[in-house]
Amino acid sequence: MGPDSVPGPAVPWRKVLWEQQPFPDNYVDQRFLEELRRNEGIRQYRYWAVVKEAGFVGEQLSCVAIFITLWLYMEQGLLSPETLLWTSLVSALLGYGLHQALTSQVQPGCEPRTRLADLQSATIFLSFTFGFSPVLKTLTESVSTDTVYAMSAVMLLAHLVSFPYAQPSPPGSLSLNAALFASVCLASRLPGALHTFAMLSCALLVFALWPCLLHRLREKAPRQFTGVCVGVCIGGVGGLGSQWPGGAVLLALALGSVTLLCPLLLVRLQRHKDNIQGPWDEAEIHEDLSHFLHKWTEPRGAQVAADLTFKKGASQLRILYE
Amino acid sequence: MVRRRAAVGNNPSSQSISAAPTEAAGVPSRKHNICMVSDFFYPNMGGVESHIYQLSQCLIEKGHKVVIVTHAYGRRKGVRHLTNGLKVYYLPLQVMYNQSTATTCFHSLPLMRCVFVRERITVVHAHSSFSAMGHDALFHAKTMGLNTVFTDHSLFGFADVSSVLTNKLLTVSLCDTNHTVCVSYTSKENTVLRAALNPEIVSVIPNAVDPTDFTPDPSQRQGDRITIVVVSRLVYRKGIDLLGGIIPELCLKHPDLQFLIGGEGPKRLVLEEVREKYQLHDRVRLLGALEHKDVRGVLVQGHIFLNTSLTEAFCMAILEGASCGLQVVSTRVGGIPEVLPEELITMCEPTVRALCAGLETVIARHRSGSVPSPASIHARVQHLYTWRNVAERTEKVYDRVAGEEVLPLDKRLRRLRAHCGPVAGSIFAFIAVLDFLFLLLLQWWAPDRVMDVAVDGTGPQGMCRQPPSGKVGDVLKVP
Repeated sequence: MGPDSVPGPAVPWRKVLWEQQPFPDNYVDQRFLEELRRNEGIRQYRYWAVVKEAGFVGEQLSCVAIFITLWLYMEQGLLSPETLLWTSLVSALLGYGLHQALTSQVQPGCEPRTRLADLQSATIFLSFTFGFSPVLKTLTESVSTDTVYAMSAVMLLAHLVSFPYAQPSPPGSLSLNAALFASVCLASRLPGALHTFAMLSCALLVFALWPCLLHRLREKAPRQFTGVCVGVCIGGVGGLGSQWPGGAVLLALALGSVTLLCPLLLVRLQRHKDNIQGPWDEAEIHEDLSHFLHKWTEPRGAQVAADLTFKKGASQLRILYE
Repeated sequence: MVRRRAAVGNNPSSQSISAAPTEAAGVPSRKHNICMVSDFFYPNMGGVESHIYQLSQCLIEKGHKVVIVTHAYGRRKGVRHLTNGLKVYYLPLQVMYNQSTATTCFHSLPLMRCVFVRERITVVHAHSSFSAMGHDALFHAKTMGLNTVFTDHSLFGFADVSSVLTNKLLTVSLCDTNHTVCVSYTSKENTVLRAALNPEIVSVIPNAVDPTDFTPDPSQRQGDRITIVVVSRLVYRKGIDLLGGIIPELCLKHPDLQFLIGGEGPKRLVLEEVREKYQLHDRVRLLGALEHKDVRGVLVQGHIFLNTSLTEAFCMAILEGASCGLQVVSTRVGGIPEVLPEELITMCEPTVRALCAGLETVIARHRSGSVPSPASIHARVQHLYTWRNVAERTEKVYDRVAGEEVLPLDKRLRRLRAHCGPVAGSIFAFIAVLDFLFLLLLQWWAPDRVMDVAVDGTGPQGMCRQPPSGKVGDVLKVP
């Protein structure tokens, strides 16, 4: 089955429709699909680079494990709330100092937060948590323990899934809220109000402040960041292992597959990537068109508008004078 | 069984039983009974709809019998007759999304079989890959042993999940189709890739415009101002966001510039916001949805026609603009570079800056008076694309298709599995078997021989004789 008739070779075929060409309609030229491009702008991944990036996922997984370990210790009375509070306070201060040290230079454009403002937020949060901890303690009393555990598990999973791994500072609202919801659920099953308060402060440290510090660390000291990630992973597996060895094995397997196996798959499967692009693709608008809309205060938009109004006014004046 | 049925049931007149396909030029081609199937037809308005209508009219003029099958639009259901006895079946099928029907692969078979048998259809021609009804018709037609043609009117990407799925469905649907028609070479490349087709069974037949509908009238232009006309649906794919950037840029630089925008859609908000913010109420006029007959009246008021589409298989709009004698400025996307010769169009990359630069060169040419007159542009464009030419070329496709053998069920199943992959191929092979069994049931229940033959409104022995000088492309006359 070939084209309907043999074309006269005298005139070359052109990719135009407005010209009657001496070729049948189903003619297939040499140049057919010549504008097809494959895998344009594809990224070539190196295995260890991907492993490093995936390490952050493993680290977050271990953070959740560490939090659960702490809760298990608290629930069984092996860890007193006072110890946890003091440890949290010390690590918070150390972390704050490190964070300040890493943010040495001021970024242009945004006002740096003062120490006073930080202290203010911390005080407000702590006093409110402390005040409300008796309420939080009895919050889930009417709910069965199984439901509370199931809910916490789902919420921690949601935290892990929705965590903004690429840009963890500030932590995404969905992931942070899911994690705090889970911690309230778990903390309400602890024996006393002080336990609840200690657990919630610890949750804030692990899920809200720690990712910020880690993000800063990743930017400023990538080498140390890898070390910290490995440390947290070992800590998570070890901590969970002291209470629940089966869980520790599962966590180790999960960490291994997330940080080692998945990157391997990604790099291996990259060979099979076959992305085709061509003139039929929908053009993308790369420019930022929002400055034409929305903001009145935008200098350019306002200037254009003012200019236009002026011109309009001038033309109306001219009409009046005429 | 299928073969026998095909031989008995679907060769209505002695004319169509010819021994071999007549491919050579000059030999008068045989007459076909064609059934156009698409979800999109009047009262819906757009490129596909007018393509089907105009092509049908020209095919009737050439002596073929044509019926159109679409779904019911509101209270418009049943059978309607249009100009020259063109019969339209508005089938009562449930609309799902965007005027496209839901498909179960089976429920439309009884109705479609009725139409195909009663009208003695020989070729089923489906239009538009968005039309579920068209795909259903192709599927049922193959089960009934009919030859099929498909016209693709749009481009589709390959990047996201939805396009992966729809492309797979298209692969299945076009696997059995005898011939595919695309409206531009870019569209052909796209369809060949999407449906994994042999490029030799894909023809390129462009759309057309009726030049008598789009004639220039410079007296309608406002002399002291330069008017840029945009006629398009106001949706993202038509690049309305770009237009929202162009308007303030150019209005600032050229105080005698005004925009006339015809069309409706969700992106109207963007334009209204721009108009509000820069206080351009007297210079940007939004006309809302336009009827096809009103388009020319808008076009002739302009000096420049602007098209900002982000993707376009053919783009009839720029052709209409040029036919009305306007200077055309357009984005260089899809099949647009193939449509008009370079002296009639200014093509720009799809960015605000490039489009503004393109428009400004055309405005400068306008001011210096170095643009060709509207009449000369119209004269240049009017013979480029005609529906008669489209019909002639489509007729060749029918001639070729009519001579082809319809695969029996076993070969069809084997081809489905070989062509569409083991999973999708097997699923659709199973559906094809079910469809075939359903057809057997229907044939037992209402045998073909007891079904009445429909009165032939068109064609050589048609009831409605054509007027001796029937002008094709009359205004749509719907009772």
